[in-house]
Amino acid sequence: MDVAADTTEKTFIQIAEIWVPEGDRLVHGGGDYGGLGAFEATSRRESFAQGEGLPGKAWAEARPVVLKGFDGSYFKRTEAAAEAGLTAAVAIPVFAGAVLKAVLVVLCGDDDARTGAIEIWSETDGLMMLDDGYYGAAKHFEWVSQHTHFPVGQGLPGGVWAARTPILMRDLGSGYRFIRADSAAKAGLTTGLGLPIPLPSGRSCVLTLLSAKGTPIARRFELWDARASRVGKDGGAVLADGICAREGPLWDEDNPRRVTAWQGLIGRVLGSGLPVAESAAPGLPGGYGAMVALPLHQGGELAHIVAWYV
Amino acid sequence: MSWIDIGALEDVPLRGTRLVKTKLGCIGLFRTGEAEVFAASNTCPHKGGPLNEGIVHGRRVTCPLHNMVFDLETGAAQGADEGRIETFPVRIEAGRILLDVTALARSAA
Amino acid sequence: MQKLVVIGAGMASGRVLEHLFEADPDAYEVTLFNAEPRGNYNRIMLSPVLSGEKSYGEIVTHDDTWYGRNDVTCRFGEKVVAVDRARKVVIGENGEVPYDKLVFGTGSSAFIIPCPGHDLPGVVAFRDLEDTSAMTEASARPGAKAVVIGGGLLGLEAAAALRLRGMEVTVLHLMGHLMERQLDEAAGYLLRKDLERRGITVMTQASTKEIRGQGRVEQVVLEDGTVLEADIVVMAVGIRPQVQLAKEAGLAVGRAIQVDAQMRTSDPDVFAVGECVEFEGHLFGLVAPLYDQAKVLAKTLLDEEETFAVKELSTKLKVTGCDLFSAGDFAEGDSREDIVFRDPARGVYKRLVLEDDRLVGAVMYGDTADGNWFFSLIKDGTDVSGMRDTLIFGPAYQGGASADPLSAVAALPDDAEICGCNGVCKGTIVAAIEGGAGDLPSLRAKTKASASCGTCTGLVEQLLAVTLGDGYAAPAAQPVCGCCDLTHEEVRRLIRAKELKSQPAVWQELGWKTVNGCHVCRPAVNFYLLADWPLEYRDDPQSRFVNERNHANIQKDGTYSVMPRMWGGMTDANELRAIADAAEKYGAAVKVTGGQRIDLLGIRKEDLPAIWSDLNDAGMVSGHAYSKGLRTVKTCVGSDWCRFGTQDSTGLGIRLEKRLWGSWTPHKVKLGVSGCPRNCAEATCKDIGIVCVDSGYQIGVGGAAGMDVKEVERLAEAATEAEAIDLVVAFVQLYRENAKYLDRPYRWIAKVGLDWVKAQVLDPEVRAGLIARFDISQSVYQHDPWADHVQTRRAAYAPLADLSLEAAE
Repeated sequence: MDVAADTTEKTFIQIAEIWVPEGDRLVHGGGDYGGLGAFEATSRRESFAQGEGLPGKAWAEARPVVLKGFDGSYFKRTEAAAEAGLTAAVAIPVFAGAVLKAVLVVLCGDDDARTGAIEIWSETDGLMMLDDGYYGAAKHFEWVSQHTHFPVGQGLPGGVWAARTPILMRDLGSGYRFIRADSAAKAGLTTGLGLPIPLPSGRSCVLTLLSAKGTPIARRFELWDARASRVGKDGGAVLADGICAREGPLWDEDNPRRVTAWQGLIGRVLGSGLPVAESAAPGLPGGYGAMVALPLHQGGELAHIVAWYV
Repeated sequence: MSWIDIGALEDVPLRGTRLVKTKLGCIGLFRTGEAEVFAASNTCPHKGGPLNEGIVHGRRVTCPLHNMVFDLETGAAQGADEGRIETFPVRIEAGRILLDVTALARSAA
Repeated sequence: MQKLVVIGAGMASGRVLEHLFEADPDAYEVTLFNAEPRGNYNRIMLSPVLSGEKSYGEIVTHDDTWYGRNDVTCRFGEKVVAVDRARKVVIGENGEVPYDKLVFGTGSSAFIIPCPGHDLPGVVAFRDLEDTSAMTEASARPGAKAVVIGGGLLGLEAAAALRLRGMEVTVLHLMGHLMERQLDEAAGYLLRKDLERRGITVMTQASTKEIRGQGRVEQVVLEDGTVLEADIVVMAVGIRPQVQLAKEAGLAVGRAIQVDAQMRTSDPDVFAVGECVEFEGHLFGLVAPLYDQAKVLAKTLLDEEETFAVKELSTKLKVTGCDLFSAGDFAEGDSREDIVFRDPARGVYKRLVLEDDRLVGAVMYGDTADGNWFFSLIKDGTDVSGMRDTLIFGPAYQGGASADPLSAVAALPDDAEICGCNGVCKGTIVAAIEGGAGDLPSLRAKTKASASCGTCTGLVEQLLAVTLGDGYAAPAAQPVCGCCDLTHEEVRRLIRAKELKSQPAVWQELGWKTVNGCHVCRPAVNFYLLADWPLEYRDDPQSRFVNERNHANIQKDGTYSVMPRMWGGMTDANELRAIADAAEKYGAAVKVTGGQRIDLLGIRKEDLPAIWSDLNDAGMVSGHAYSKGLRTVKTCVGSDWCRFGTQDSTGLGIRLEKRLWGSWTPHKVKLGVSGCPRNCAEATCKDIGIVCVDSGYQIGVGGAAGMDVKEVERLAEAATEAEAIDLVVAFVQLYRENAKYLDRPYRWIAKVGLDWVKAQVLDPEVRAGLIARFDISQSVYQHDPWADHVQTRRAAYAPLADLSLEAAE
């Protein structure tokens, strides 16, 4: 299986943290800090007003925000980040209609070896155009992406946009399998996860996470479908697609895996409607050390959950 | 049962009709679906309207003369109207329409 | 150990081996032939591999380790040349293998339409990994185009995958709607809409004539002359069982290899399984029955009792984000009942078909959660009479839910135009309501929505209700019929705002409660569609009353009257002679009508094409005396002959009739042109009446001389004949675009007001637009239906069969 080599090498994303609204501020709601204890301690003491810092900015602007380079920016924890070697961050707001449920922030550290991509695409003049993205050392792929656009239905961003559902693509680099394949292959990108990000403005927005072999975003991906039109009014979710470096394919057309609300970590997302970022939690499948699960709310219901494990 | 091949399914347009002449009067063929055809007496019991000229909707037909509506499965008039048209077994096989003429023969005897 | 040879490493034969090894690993020594140079993989998952959503590695069912562990001798990439049943050996390209038992799992190959060019490189099927690789290679070139022939399960999965991969994709389908074997029209419409939203072009009723190319496929040409560019052509029109080898071996072969319920062929030591099998006249293409067969065959090979039986099937489409489900049989049989549920706002359509208190079929789109539950009800033949009323809401139904009559309006996008007169969109109206305009008058003052002709008033009221919720009580309006909750005006407005271009689109998007309407709504919807979309929509004869369908007036005894056109009431000896001949030949009664023409009464339906043909030969065309359209233009003799005539009223009448004939209108339209105010043509009680005066032409509209008698009102005065014609054409088009079906012009004018009509027709820009749209419509509809029917539909006028002899025997 070509998700990512199952090594203990470093990952593309170093930290994932959750911020949840409490009154008029965003407060810490858990996270996976990958052993960067000092930054974790600083973060647990922090909170953000609307418009303040990176999480506050994503809340205020009601869209995902990419920040590359903290020095002199609105980023509040610059000093602690610098000490931990973190240089870039992406904040993804989780909306249910017009209501902010949480903000997921992922932080990465630049070096020559880390490649991967976290991209924000949104609709402009009937095409998916790149808003912004963080690519680590994949500079050529970054340049190609900035000069690419996707009509509806085409490629990962166009496909997610048209299908209104998360899509997991395999073998991005193997020749023909991805529109930016050539450059993706050179960057070592293998697996692509595309998510439709619902925004209060109604503008179509797609987040893609492209995982590379050497510094994977994750070694296991799961897409859960929780729409009532798929699972019925009793709730719960079914595993629509998934792939794991250790267990192989996770999908089963005839007998998909199921969870109910509050059953395990996915069940927690299902029950609370909030994202989860956990490390060393009991019950993580496949012996993984950490996981992030992001809920997507559509049309007044929790429609999908995407989860990745490292 | 005595099935007679009376023509190709495609000769009757979707939601359209065709006529079959018999010794005992005309039978209307009503194509209600891609692969669904009903056969019934073509004569409206009200004023003798030709039902094959009516509009076919769902599994019903509306008489072209005075809008009486008949259920093609049972032959019963719908709504406040009273009356019934005779229905005949029909089936489709390999794109051909087969009509059971046992009932016709029986009535004729 | 007995020797088992299996020809073909497919899903069915693979499943046989799994069952066999599980039950008794030592029963057989197995040799497996496969023409493909690989073992068994999950073929039905090729479409996600094509799209990139799965990798080939993930769909391999049996790898080398598995074959090794079970001691299977694999002869992959080697074709079987022959089977010698006398010697009990299979002859492969690389040598013979003896067998005790032999299994045919040769599967099927794609049916390739034998049109010219079908063998060009670049024409592929979608059956195996080689086809999949050929398609992915073709998609590598930026801007590459694919044409998929076949809008069934396989073709649509290929189309969606190729689109995701970046190609420009067109699907050609011979039938009227997609997946017609599994879906009805409404579900087919939703599927088409979903695929079009992915950027896929769908053409139905498209018949492929030829594939062209210099050494490689370049173009696909359709029967109607359309030419499509193509870098690759995917043929997915059907499959054909591979039976050549079995036939040559002398086994009983019908449409496929014939087997009994134990999967045994005509030779007791030879078996067959999968798509190459024919059982009780059935062929098999879906995977579920193949797995059943595999289970049976494994038992048979182990000398255990098992019987194969044909069961109901269910279908899903493997296109991410496309939720459809179809099961059982919803098309054939007697005494059936439909339950239909539509939610336009969520794009949901569900239909259940009941027979004798049992569910026999289910089609669902957009909400498939209960699909498996319905499928089990179908398979088990459960009596559903106790839950009939709530059945469609599924097993979890707790009461209360019902279709929302406002959902069609709620589903409109913000930029949908609600008020056509003033160009006001939904978003503007909703913003005004949210800004405090809580009733119709204040909304009109603020946005001008529904402030002109007023036909959109109902929609604006519904927007108030949707936006304000229970705080607003909209006055009840009369719906078109029991099939829907909307008025005629609302249906018209929404057809335009949502760009609905087919009847299934209207039924679904406007929440019709019946499967396909009734005799009240269908003719109205048919007219609205053809009036608004003359080029995209085709008139549906099955949605027309008898007279319009047969282009003649049915009489009380079932015979017809036939009336040729007499332009402006002028005729000549030649025409009169032809009419006299026809009257004699077909035994017609002859009547001179009030519209200045001659009616032939008492014509039998079978004779209609013949009499039309005779009249056509004399240069006459249909008088449309039967249509909701232009009837006659009555004229006086005018300045040519009359000493009082001020203008050429006869000539103007003829020119108007020649311009307007053939057009469909909401109700019939009659014209009169009088040459002076003495008004011999009785123009002042016509739908449109022109009275010529010295200074020009007085144009009146909205007269009536039927159940109501009414004098025309003055629309305008024209100085020249050309201007008079322009005004009349513009008025007719305005009437076509706005009136309720079956409202004569005078009724319509009473609703919208003459001032509004004048404002439209007299505005030069609006008038030019109306005339241009009328002419576009005439380019399609101004032709003689009689000549058409004589040429193309003659047979339909005769009975399909004459059993008067057989039945009496």
